[in-house]
Amino acid sequence: MNFTRKTVVWFSALVVVVNGFFPAVWILLTSLKTETELLQVPITYLPLAPTLDNYVLAFTAQPILRFMWNSVVVAGVSTALCVFVSALAAYALTRLRMPHRNLIMSLLLAVAMFPLISLMVPLFKLMRELGLLNTYPALILPYTVLSMPICTLVMASFFQDIPPDLEAAAMIDGCSRVGALFKVVVPLSAPGVFTAAILSFVNAWDEFLLALTMMNRVSMRTLSVGITLYQGEFAFPWPLISAALIIAIVPICILIAIFQERVVGGLTAGGVKG
Amino acid sequence: MRVSIRVVAAIVSLGVAMSAAADTTLRIFTGGQQRPDVMRKIADEYQKKNPGVKIEVEVGGATSEAQQQYLSTVLSSKDSVLDVILIDVIRPAQWAAQGWAEPLDAYLGADKQKILSQYLKAYVDADQVNGKLIALPYFADSQFLYYRKDLLEKYKRPVPKTWDEMMDTAKIVMDGEKNSNLQGFTTAGSPIEGTVCTYLVPLWGAGGELTKDGKLNLDAASSREPFQLYGRMKQSGVLPKNIAEIPTDRIRIDMQAGNLIFGMTWSYAWNRLENDPDSKVKGKIGVTMLPHDPGGKSATCIGGWQLAVSAFSKNKAEAVKFARWLSTPEVSKMQAIMASHMPVFPGVFKDPEVLKANPWFADALPVVEGAKARPVSAQYPQVSDVIRSNMNAYLAGTKTTDVALGDMKSRLTPLFK
Amino acid sequence: MSTDAPKPRDLSERALGMLLLLPAALLLLLIVVYPIATLFWNSLHSVDQANPQAGELFVGIDNYTRAFADDRFWASTLHTVLYIAVTVPGSLLIGLGLALLANRPFRVKWPVRLGLLLPWALPLVFAGLIFRWFFEYKTGVVNDWLVALGMEPPQWLSDPTLAFWAICIAIIWKASSFMALMLLAGLQAIPRSLYEAAEVDGANTWQQFVEITLPMLRPAIFVALIFRTITAVQTFDIPYAMTGGGPGDATETLAMYIHKTTLDFLDFGYGSALAALMFVISMVATSGYLRYTRRSAARSEE
Repeated sequence: MNFTRKTVVWFSALVVVVNGFFPAVWILLTSLKTETELLQVPITYLPLAPTLDNYVLAFTAQPILRFMWNSVVVAGVSTALCVFVSALAAYALTRLRMPHRNLIMSLLLAVAMFPLISLMVPLFKLMRELGLLNTYPALILPYTVLSMPICTLVMASFFQDIPPDLEAAAMIDGCSRVGALFKVVVPLSAPGVFTAAILSFVNAWDEFLLALTMMNRVSMRTLSVGITLYQGEFAFPWPLISAALIIAIVPICILIAIFQERVVGGLTAGGVKG
Repeated sequence: MRVSIRVVAAIVSLGVAMSAAADTTLRIFTGGQQRPDVMRKIADEYQKKNPGVKIEVEVGGATSEAQQQYLSTVLSSKDSVLDVILIDVIRPAQWAAQGWAEPLDAYLGADKQKILSQYLKAYVDADQVNGKLIALPYFADSQFLYYRKDLLEKYKRPVPKTWDEMMDTAKIVMDGEKNSNLQGFTTAGSPIEGTVCTYLVPLWGAGGELTKDGKLNLDAASSREPFQLYGRMKQSGVLPKNIAEIPTDRIRIDMQAGNLIFGMTWSYAWNRLENDPDSKVKGKIGVTMLPHDPGGKSATCIGGWQLAVSAFSKNKAEAVKFARWLSTPEVSKMQAIMASHMPVFPGVFKDPEVLKANPWFADALPVVEGAKARPVSAQYPQVSDVIRSNMNAYLAGTKTTDVALGDMKSRLTPLFK
Repeated sequence: MSTDAPKPRDLSERALGMLLLLPAALLLLLIVVYPIATLFWNSLHSVDQANPQAGELFVGIDNYTRAFADDRFWASTLHTVLYIAVTVPGSLLIGLGLALLANRPFRVKWPVRLGLLLPWALPLVFAGLIFRWFFEYKTGVVNDWLVALGMEPPQWLSDPTLAFWAICIAIIWKASSFMALMLLAGLQAIPRSLYEAAEVDGANTWQQFVEITLPMLRPAIFVALIFRTITAVQTFDIPYAMTGGGPGDATETLAMYIHKTTLDFLDFGYGSALAALMFVISMVATSGYLRYTRRSAARSEE
């Protein structure tokens, strides 16, 4: 009995790990190959003559560390802003008696539905008029809005589960309403806040089109756009781009490995309710 | 000696004004592929010759389309951030219509004809739209037939002049080598800009034209020729099965790995095939004119990049001066040596230093001189989209010649009224 | 819960609520509402592409009627609908499977969690490029395995049907990890006691799944579905990277057509109209969910 249980456990782990890791492993192996080896038929899996040349080139051909920094700043600040604003909104919609709560919720969702692609040109013109092109706010503001609907929904579902008496207790102790929000509700919903934060961070990290348009100066480019700069009119240097991708993924992996306990654990504590 | 305060003030303010005026910053935009590192070196030369002018090189998207999309967004908003912009040879007509490029005729003044006569004629034609000079040529490019001269020698086959000769040679070599990875011929087949040339080259080689007197010429028998040619190649196995997935660089990569006998691609490939450390074909590659139909003439697609001055630049005079300097024989020579960019001046092709770096330029000159332009239209992106997606569909086997031609006719006619 | 709170307190609660919503509202107004308004305004105008200097003309709903007569609009919309129909349920099923597998007591948790989250963390653009590489005819991993199994390797990306499935596989791989994440949370929130009670009652694994797991997961499923659907309507990055819309236009989505129209053809008026239509499609696709939330919210307010 125990043996089958164990096999099931191991099998499950294997499936999940392989599914998630295989492209990453593939990129890792590719990054150690040369271009000509890559085009050999039949294809090779392990590199014949592993080389770190691509990593050297990745660092020298483009300022990849700068790209990463830009991505970190943009994603980080927009996440902080998004979580803050969404927390306020979620609180207003779930803990305060507000009229038309569902209408506002629906409006929030409707806004999320608007295709980003079409907002690009008007957004670009707007940012240009505000003189914000090639500055961090040009991406921070849209990214904040991008994740607001889902962050609000997630935090709202956590806030809903907190008994109202806790705030009443805090306020009797002399807290203001908003104080109660930050001293009581948010800490109790920490898992929800963490989830909203990581959702927002990955959304911003992932984003490509807007980053391409708003930041034309190479020094301001984010990672997802910067990596495509290795490409050429005629050429697509896979090994080089793979090396750049590994450089880009590793920090995120480390972050996830550290915080995954909180993220998944967080989602479990409150459960995601509708 | 008493100097009046007013005089001092005047001198000081004059000094300030002079230094302020002297320090102009120009921003030139180039794509990632057009060797921005070489551009930087060239710009440094200019800065040395022109103290008081600072040049910033801005590097943009990787492909012609990516750059164009980014530039469209910027220029549609009339942004003044860029002064000189490197544009693909297919863009001037659209840029003229959109009003993005500053016409250069006034700046060249009386010298205009003299200056223009120095260049290869194809570029003078490409850069003038409705009598206005939209850009100055920067470097030239066109498509060539690359071939494995070692394999041709082995099987005692001459360098092919017609498509059929090429197909026969390819088959003989493929049968002889018995290497399942060796392909006969590839060209661009995926839905990218280069695939427009894939259609046009056989069309021109058969004596056909896409437009005649500005009107669409797709009813002529010659317009079927490209489809029929590639159809024959596919059937005989000379063309690989996944031709519809082939982007431009695959041709170079396959040839470099020793897996290709004939390839139709641009001049950049030579540098990589001969100089890359892991190239399996060093010294084995020959370059020649593209094949044609019997009775026809070899034709090739013109490529290359031009220098346009932004209509919204705040330093037009300085920008034009910079662009004019970039478009001189000395800079052309620098580019040829440092980046293997083909010159836009016939004379530079024969320069001994240039030939030392690129021996095959001597043979390339007649090819470039005869190169033909893709359709000139203010709506070129739509034209390109129609031609390349239909060529791609045909190569993938999802459209027959008639369906593809029919679609091309119905979608191109409104664009060529 | 109707507490008899005095009137002034009510007002201040409402006022506070409004105040708390203000930052969100302002951001939305600036970043979304204003551009959307510009977009709708643009959709009512047109620029003659052959003579753009002549400026914009007001054309009323011409752009919209043009869209309805445009084969390519219908084709790309059809493709988008097909992608939604396949990838949304697909990623739900795979995601559910992954979540169930990941919901085991592992001694070392982080490899499994990382495996679950990694596809999600990989930027969409690169996922597309990587899968394009996997499905490459001669040098792709997929064909390598098929050849090893003795099968004839197909040209995945040159055939419209195969390309469609290749793209779907790539999208499902990427999206299922997001689904799995949301569902895993829901799974771990289900108390073990329910399962234990069911076992005592003699229910087998399948019955437990259908009677306990699924109903308890319903809210999580809905949240995941709604966001997955919204994203699916805007499918762009993966087909763009894998086929560029090819062969021909066989795998082009509406988002890709909009992108091409706006940024390649510079037809801002028509592109804006298409974007507005895409918005309508989004609303149709998600209206079901909105009705559900309103119903459940009404129920919870009793």
